[in-house]
This record gives sequence, C-alpha cells and structure tokens, in this order.
Amino acid sequence: MTSAGVRPRRFFRAGLAGAGLAAAVPALVLVLAGALPAASAETRGYVISMVHTATWGDTDTCPQGDNGGLADLKMRRLVRRGFSEEEARAVLAAGGVDGDGNRVPITALPRLNGREVNPGNVPVLVSDPEIRTAQGRFAFGFNLNGRVEPDSFENPASGERGVDNRMWRALGCFEVYQVRRPVRPYNEDIAWDTALDAMPAWLMSVSGSDLARGGGVTVTFDRALNVAMRDARGGVLSGATYVVDPDPRSHSVFAGRIEDGVLTIEPGGFSMQGESQFYAILRFTGTRLRLEMADDGSASGIIGGYQPWRDYFHYLAIRGEENAQVDLPGVYYAMKRLADGAPDPETGENTAISAAYWLEAVPAFHATPAGEIVAEAVGPGPELSGPAVRENVTLDPN
Amino acid sequence: MRRFPRLPALLAGLVVGVSAVSSAAEELTFVRLTPAQHQRAIHDVFGPGIRVDGSAEALGVRDRGLLALGARRSTLSAAELERYEALAQQVAAQVTEPARRATLIACRPAADDAPDDVCAARFVARAGRFLFRRPLTGGETDLYVAVARTAADTLDDYYAGLRAALAGMLVAPEFLFRVERSEPDPGDPGRLRLDAWSRASRLSFFLWDSAPDHLLLDAAESGGLLSPEGLDRQVERLLASPRAERGLRAFFSDLLELDRFATLSIDSSLFPRFTKNVEDDAREQTLRTIADHLLNRNRDYRDLFVTRDTFLTPPLAAIYGVPLPRSQELGGAVPWVPYRFPEGGSHVGLLGQVSFLALHSHPGRSSPTLRGQAVQQIFLCRTVPPPPPDVDFSLLQDTYNPDFRTTRDRLAEHRRNPACASCHNLTDPIGLTLEVFDAAGGYRTTENGAPIDAGGALNGRTYAGPAGLAEALRDEPRAASCFIERTFSYGAARPPTDGERAWLADVQAELVERGVKWRDLVRRIARHPDFYTVVPGAS
Repeated sequence: MTSAGVRPRRFFRAGLAGAGLAAAVPALVLVLAGALPAASAETRGYVISMVHTATWGDTDTCPQGDNGGLADLKMRRLVRRGFSEEEARAVLAAGGVDGDGNRVPITALPRLNGREVNPGNVPVLVSDPEIRTAQGRFAFGFNLNGRVEPDSFENPASGERGVDNRMWRALGCFEVYQVRRPVRPYNEDIAWDTALDAMPAWLMSVSGSDLARGGGVTVTFDRALNVAMRDARGGVLSGATYVVDPDPRSHSVFAGRIEDGVLTIEPGGFSMQGESQFYAILRFTGTRLRLEMADDGSASGIIGGYQPWRDYFHYLAIRGEENAQVDLPGVYYAMKRLADGAPDPETGENTAISAAYWLEAVPAFHATPAGEIVAEAVGPGPELSGPAVRENVTLDPN
Repeated sequence: MRRFPRLPALLAGLVVGVSAVSSAAEELTFVRLTPAQHQRAIHDVFGPGIRVDGSAEALGVRDRGLLALGARRSTLSAAELERYEALAQQVAAQVTEPARRATLIACRPAADDAPDDVCAARFVARAGRFLFRRPLTGGETDLYVAVARTAADTLDDYYAGLRAALAGMLVAPEFLFRVERSEPDPGDPGRLRLDAWSRASRLSFFLWDSAPDHLLLDAAESGGLLSPEGLDRQVERLLASPRAERGLRAFFSDLLELDRFATLSIDSSLFPRFTKNVEDDAREQTLRTIADHLLNRNRDYRDLFVTRDTFLTPPLAAIYGVPLPRSQELGGAVPWVPYRFPEGGSHVGLLGQVSFLALHSHPGRSSPTLRGQAVQQIFLCRTVPPPPPDVDFSLLQDTYNPDFRTTRDRLAEHRRNPACASCHNLTDPIGLTLEVFDAAGGYRTTENGAPIDAGGALNGRTYAGPAGLAEALRDEPRAASCFIERTFSYGAARPPTDGERAWLADVQAELVERGVKWRDLVRRIARHPDFYTVVPGAS
C-alpha cells in the first residue's frame, strides 16, 4: 500500500556528466552530490515543461537585413543551382516545376560520389554562404568568461553585461528565431511539443534548509523513467509524480543560491539525454542558471553555458531545412566560425559555443525506482493550472 | 438488385408474437436493458469478439434515484429502434460470417445457397433461448425460420437467411426488454409471482447485470428455481462467480449516477488537471474502491463513507495532490495502485472522491447545494425539490464578488430569502463542508484569498470538516435503510411495497448489528419470496 509522505533523498550517484563532459566535471560536484541528501531539510521537485533557444529579436538585431525564411532559402538554393532570381521565383510559384514541366530538386544541392546529398548531412560540400548574423545590444544569456567585450551582449531581463551568446549570433537573423517570449521559435516549439510525448521527462530538484527564505541550495537535474504528463490544455501537468532514472549520464548537481526569489548556480557541467529528434542531448560546460521562482510553485528563466556547437547543428540537420527553417550550411559555417569555448587540445579549434535556453518547470513529485519520495511538488503550478494543493495533514494528538 | 429484407417489416409480426405469448399471463412488465446489459447479452451468447459499436439508447430516465426504475417506464423511440436495427445487422453479419460459422452455428445446411428449415430451426431455438431468456414458442420459432427461409431463398444464401432471422431476434422486444411474466402463486392464491424464466432473469440481472447462463436457464426449465432450496443454490452460485462484481458495479453506477460522466463538463481552462483520463479514471476509482471494499474485504457498506483505502492512477494522484511513484509505459496500461489517504486528511470516503465532487459541481465552480442535494438524495433517500423558477442566482454565480468572497458567504446571503432557505438548509450544511474541494475534486484551503470554513451539520450533529461529515453519514441510521431500499428497488425494478418495507426493516435491524455487508444483503433480498412477487399495476 502506497502512502503519502516524503523523505530526504538518500540515493547517491557519483557521475554527472555525459560523454564528452567528463573532463569538465569538477571534484566539487562529486562532493556536493554525496553531501546534499542528508543535509536537505526540504526538497522541491519540478518537471521541465519547456525548453527553447532564448531568443530576443528586435529592430537592432539584423541591421543589414535578415536571412529570411523558408521561401528565401529555397530561392537561394535555386540561384546557386544556376537559376536566375526571376526563374527561381517562377519555379517556386509553379510548386517546384520548371518551364519545361520538370520537377526541380530544391533542397538536395551538393553532390557526393556522383549523387545529390542533403546539405545538412554534408555541409562542407557547400561553400560558406556567409549568412547574416545577429548584432544589437541585447541577448539572453550569461557572462560566461567574466569579461565585458565589444561583441558581448546585455541581458534584457537581468541587465547583466558581458553576455556571451554566440549561438544567438549564428541563428538570430533567421525569421524563425526573430521572436520574443511569449512567442517561441516555431521550429523548436514543434520539436519540443513532439518530444514531450515520447521522451523521458526532464527533472529538476532544489534542496535547502528553507527554500522560502532562500540562501544556499543544491540544484539537481535528472531524467525520469516516465514521459511528461499533459494537462487538459496540452501543457505539462503540475503535481504529477516522476520516477528518477538512476542513470548517471543525465544527472547533474550544482551548488546554488536563492535570493529574492531568483535561483542561480555555481558553474558546472550539465548533461541531459533527450531521446528525441531535436534534443538528442543537451549539455553545457560552465553552466549557469537564472530561474525566477514563482509563488505558484513554477520556475522559469534561462539556462546556458558552452554547448558543443555540433549538438545544436545536428538538431537542425535532423529536422532538415524544411522544418528547421534555416540555411543549414550557413548555420554550420557560422557556428564553426563563432564557436568560443572548449578548444580542441590538438587543433585549438573551439568545439563549443556560448548559448542560452529558456527553461520552464512546474511542480512535480520525484521518486526513486523503489518508490521512495525524494522531492515534493509544492504549489499549484502556473496560473489557471488548477488550485489543487497537497493537504498538509497534521494528526490530532488526541 | 436484390435487397436484404428490412427489419421493420418483420417487427409487426414479432409484436404479434409477443402478444400471443402474453395472452396467457396475468401481468406483463417490460424493463429495458441498459446499454451495458444489451452489449453483455450479445457477448455472453456469441462471445466477446463480436463488435457492438456504441449504444442505441439515449440517456436513461432516473426514477426515485435509479435508472433501473426508470427502465420500467422506458419505451423505444423510432430513432433508437433504427439504431438497434443497425446494431442487430452488424452483430448478425459477424455471427454468420464464414470464419465464425464453425463455432457459432453448429448445424451445417444441406446446401449453402438454399434454405434449410431444419438447420435454421435448430439455430433459432438455441440462440433464441439465450436471447429471449426462455425457450421460444412454436409460433416464434416458425416465424424466425420463415424469415430465414424467405431471405435465403431471395438471396440464394442459407447464411443470409440466418442473418435475417438473427437480426430480427436482436430487435425483438423480447430481447431488448426484460419481459417479466407472472403466474398465480400456488402457495398464496390471489398473489402473483414471476414465472420461473422471469425469475431467472431478475436474479441474473440483479446479481450479474447480464442475462441468465445456461445453468440458470436449466434451473428455470426444471422448476428447481421455484423451490427455496433450488433458489438458494443459484443465489450462492451467482454470488460466488466473478460476474458478481459486474452486478455490484452496475448497481453502484446507477446509485451514484455515474452515467452522468457521459455529459460531465468541467472547465479545463480553470481546472487543467481534470483531463479526459481523470474523467475515466475517477469513475473507475470509485467502482474499484467499492468492489474492493464490499467484495474483496467484505466490509460494511457504511464504512465506504470513512474509508481511506482506494486506488489511484498517475493522473488522479496529480489531481489529489499526492505522489504516486509508479511510471506508466508509453502506450501501456494504466497502472492502478492501491493507495491509502493519510489519516486526518480531508480525502475520506466516497464523498472525498473526484467522481462525487466533480459530478455534483458546476463546470467552473463547486456547488455546496448540488453536493448537499446529492448526499440527501443518493445516500439518505430524501427528496430536495428543485428551486422555484424565479430565483435570482446572480450573486451565487458572482464568484469574484469582493463582498462575498467565499461560497459560504454568498449562500448565507442567498438564504436570507425565505423561499430559498428551506431547501438550502437541507443541502448547504452538508455541501459547505465539501468546499475544501474545488469543482474538479482538488483540495484547497482558500477561495479568493479567504480561508474556507468547512464546518457543517447533519441532522443536528456538527463537525469541522469532511472527516466529520463522513463519520456522521456513516452513523446516520437512514443511510443504511436508504441503501437497503435502493438495493431492493434496483433488483426488482420497482420500489418496495409497504409490506416489503416491513421485512426490509427487519433486514436492516439485523444487518446494522452484524454489519451491512453486500453479499449478506443481496442474499437476503434474492432469497426472499417478495422479491419475485408481482405487484399489479407496477408497470
């Protein structure tokens, strides 16, 4: 018989980083992982309900004009194939058929071993189209290198200066990324919505002596063994229970702090396996977090760090240009050029790029596979998610 | 083009057939099968592999708290008959399709493309005994054999003939209704009792919610069912069967008005935790709790009001705000987990379950009045009259009124109207205690920022919250008597007479001392001769 009740987390998992990040795992984190459970007086659980690139499109972002959308990409493909702009426009208007009635392959341009191939798979077969990159003053993210440089941004929400977000530079001039919350990049919105029903949920927990008062905390990320549950409006259900996957590859622990309702962490390694088309894995080194903890128990804000740039390129490439709505070779070359972290020890080439993602989470219970409750769902969740709360039962001593 | 015979043309003949059968009976009553019974009757005869897509019945009519009583007054509309005909054709086509003939149609005709009266008669007699819950009369058999012959002859297909005959039986009143026939009671001249076949049906639908099986029909045919010993044997056999849970579930579905889930509307923009899964699971949670409590644990019915033992699924756990560490495989079966709500909490008994709380709420807000009315009517058999037509509800609906932040405040103001107060005094002291649960059944402590006062009273007994209400209801003598009377009414498809109320009172006196156990109660009812007495004019 299952019964209500929560106990402090007692299971210990040493490793936290995924493949490729092991070198970045600081010994400090291991110490934290072992020390946190017994010391935690309160652990709140969350399930991550939304992740997408933290975009900030405004009039200063692309002063020379942007890279356009899908129709513009197709135009450029055809022009590269030898069509004049007028001919290309006519082909597109005719639904991909030229004046002789022949179907024109629009996306498969480069040839490898005599066959046309998808440029997303082998972008080096295409010369760098030199896409336009984002400029402007503002972008979400964090000052990862501790310096305020000429090409760094200012965080429009926190005011932090020296924000490193080279990934935004690479992506920010495609129409699909030219949005601001509450609008989300369409390509990522679709991908996340699809993944949510198919991949194990992503979890976060915050432990501390008194989370309402704030102070030092421990922040833990894990993957669940079960997929996220939906509510009646298609959002992620608040107050559901998730069983924590003991696999260390998606387990990351950070020292953190809550001040004035804002949760931040000390930099460290983050890795989360996705089992989805888009987010096969999300990982950073030098990870930062800035989440606002709402009264309703939900949390939202930014997570970021240095992300292997090929990870994100592969997200887009798997989707293809039609769905990703970007020029894949253009993004490939831009990211390669703009990468600013994790230099390859042999070549010196940067393998990671500074990046920032918007993250939202709603209250959730966490349990071990053995059924022990290790994190409480606290609060009803976002507005209109329903006023259900867990009853605080006190027994009558009489 | 040759057309398949239409059924309405056959129905006139069937009605004549029924009339002919009934001419010798003293009293004839019709109790319409529920959609579940209709489907089950087909599956019991031809196997669960036969598809019965949907239900032909419009919403049932509830009489004195039970659809089972309304079913006695229920008739067939033209639209419903048309739907039944479509279902009958669907079922008959499946039964007679080549892959099923070897198992469902024993007699092989002399030729597949011609009528065969001998084989057809064997099929009609055998299927008819189960479908009509009695042997067919010679006239009925002849009629259906003639239908089979005509259709087979027209279509050059023996099985098409059987199909037409079976479809005809499936839309016959004898199948769609429990046709109860009476006969003079030899032990008490002047009284009428059900004949053996009708007795078998009443017993079977009461305890199993389905038609009699062959053993019960055999007992009716041999006359054994008319003897006390023979009846006892069958009652015990039926109660020992796993099908007894179906009977229990059907009764409580009717008693608790769970059919209303079909039209339930809880506003998902206000209560997004109330998903379609929750809707389905909430109904099942209640039935599972009851079946476990009354059948598996053989506990007292009255303790259903105070039990904290139940079963949850992940979506239900979220709406109750409790953890349920059980993962569900993607696309896998819903895991039902035994769960005990903590002692001292508000989620206690049937009144603390989502099914009761949501069914007796408005789409966007809770309703102490609807909940209190439901407690009075369902569990205490008290009638609460509907509001007068000219009542001003505007204040009650103004859920964000700054001067009346809680429903208790708004109802207190509403009750200042003496015309409203008399009924609200019956309902509100009960329902206001359940205000700690929102319209979707989730727990809450405040409304519009104001703390919720969950105090209330039942027949002069006051309490501070849902647990107190549950205990008061458990201890309320009327709760037991109401339950016993509803159980009898459900089984007999009529309310008890004054004389029957007297022996039901004796049953109550006995069970209240020993515990109101389901098997003990239905055993006493099903064994009592009054249960099979026909009350003239009851139909």
